[in-house]
Amino acid sequence: MKYLIQNLLKTIPVFILISLIVFVLVRVTGDPVSLLLPETATDAERESLRESLGFNDPLYMQYLHYMSDVVRGDFGESLRYNTDALAIILERLPATLELAIASMIVAILIAIPLGILSAMKRNTFLDLFITGGAVLGKAMPSFWLGIMLILLLSVVFQIFPVSGRDSLMHLVLPAITLGTGIAAEMTRLIRSSMLEILGQDFVRTARSKGLREAVVVNIHAFRNALIPVVTIMALQTSTLIGGTLITETVFAWPGMGQLLVQAVNLRDMAVVQAATFLIAFFVILSNLLADLLYRLLDPRIKYN
Amino acid sequence: MAATKLMEVEDLKVRFKTENGYVSTVNGVTFSILEGETLAIVGESGSGKSVTSLALMGILPSNGEVYEGEMTFKDKDLRKLSKKEYRGLRGKEISMIFQEPMTALNPVFTIGFQLRETIILHFKMKKEQAHQRGIEMLQLVGIPDAEKVMTRFPHQLSGGMRQRVMIAIALSCNPSLLIADEPTTALDVTIQAQILTLMRNLKKNSNTSIMIITHDLGVVAEIADRVIVMYAGEVVEEAPVYELFENPMHPYTKGLMASIPKVHDVVDDLYSIEGTVPNPADMPAGCKFHPRCPLASAECTKIRPELKQMNEQHAVRCIKV
Repeated sequence: MKYLIQNLLKTIPVFILISLIVFVLVRVTGDPVSLLLPETATDAERESLRESLGFNDPLYMQYLHYMSDVVRGDFGESLRYNTDALAIILERLPATLELAIASMIVAILIAIPLGILSAMKRNTFLDLFITGGAVLGKAMPSFWLGIMLILLLSVVFQIFPVSGRDSLMHLVLPAITLGTGIAAEMTRLIRSSMLEILGQDFVRTARSKGLREAVVVNIHAFRNALIPVVTIMALQTSTLIGGTLITETVFAWPGMGQLLVQAVNLRDMAVVQAATFLIAFFVILSNLLADLLYRLLDPRIKYN
Repeated sequence: MAATKLMEVEDLKVRFKTENGYVSTVNGVTFSILEGETLAIVGESGSGKSVTSLALMGILPSNGEVYEGEMTFKDKDLRKLSKKEYRGLRGKEISMIFQEPMTALNPVFTIGFQLRETIILHFKMKKEQAHQRGIEMLQLVGIPDAEKVMTRFPHQLSGGMRQRVMIAIALSCNPSLLIADEPTTALDVTIQAQILTLMRNLKKNSNTSIMIITHDLGVVAEIADRVIVMYAGEVVEEAPVYELFENPMHPYTKGLMASIPKVHDVVDDLYSIEGTVPNPADMPAGCKFHPRCPLASAECTKIRPELKQMNEQHAVRCIKV
């Protein structure tokens, strides 16, 4: 518990730094006022809008204002929707979480059997095939894979819907699209981790007990191989969230990622800031989770 | 010989597949283990003694194979067993303990899990029964607080304790043969003595035969009934332990004996056998020991000596004796 609190306290500077970077970035990349007002608006009109939105204050004043609101749980209002920015995002959050979790499941279902198989059949044609596939899966851009899947399975064969989020069927293609890249990374990780573990003395001990090879590999070896894999995968959450931005856009998946992309294009500062805050929160949370999982999986790590 | 033969190994040959073709590390080893006896296999690293034991267990690394010879255990031809039959034997009839107690136990499972696993597998016991037997086994190998130790993880125990746990696991199904591959090498000297005493006592109370692999002649003197000396994948001398220490015949055995420093002799240099065990991929012709042998003559480089029976129990592979 003390450990948990310590680590939570450590995240405060991370949040401050992230908020500062995002705050500055959205302000130096464009003027929202010119996007909000029609082209025919006069300079005086623009100026008065700027003044009323507080954009004429010095940057540090704007930041302090913003942060003092944030601390009170107020992330400001969306310039586009004229409602609370955080509320809009939270409304979209379940869709993104759904996609992220489904992708992770797809990745796990692909990577665990393939990774183990490829380690056991090391340096055979099968191993070459799997590792080659993993390189390909990693190299394939997800927007390209998504479009190819739509072409093949929605347009030509019409098995799955093209876009939207109405049924479980809608989830299949986006989850495969996003899951493939993660599966590729995970397969290689499991393979190398398993290869290292299979050479260990305790694997030989397990064999000497008369256990079936499946038990030796899937229980004695895999349980150990899982330790680095879980940790590294949990640290990959940022990749996963980055992936949702693209996948959601390709499949018109009404999630946070899609919203964020739109908000960036419209310079909807409050929404961009709140979304990044939330993403940072999830990344930090998953890092903490990785740490806890690591301790859970490896009894040699002591709790302090 | 009154006792019956438990394990008979006849002309065993083991080879490994490498990038440069096959390399043979065990080249025609013949020996037998009698019921209730302790047989020591002695030799330097690379003499093929560990590979021999892995071959008997049927757990050679995936690139290794027995390509000639016979292994008969209780009238069963081990080379003809199916994988399933062999598994039924491993851990139950023949079990093994290894050199490195630090790494031989699985770090992520409790001692209890690793003990119960073998018992449940071979005795088809329920978990509670197996747990009880596990506790009894830990008590048998002299572990205090056995019940508590069942819930511990390997890293929470000392090396000596872990080796005791390994022995408990190996003996949990009452094996007929226990193969111990350098069981004391990685331990402190005081712990070594404890483990050897433990093994000797356990043997006294059961009819388990022990095949102990070691390079330590002190261990041999301590525990063995009979000794086989191996060199470069061959048996070079075989004798009862007393006879071997009294009257070593092979120059290699003599060399090993001479390498043990003696307390009362003050010498400047310790004796050592020159050179190293030859690379299995590049074996010398004739007697494999001749490049390192003080007695070697021209004919040793040509003739490959046979194992000569000197008397009923003493055999030597050397043309000079």
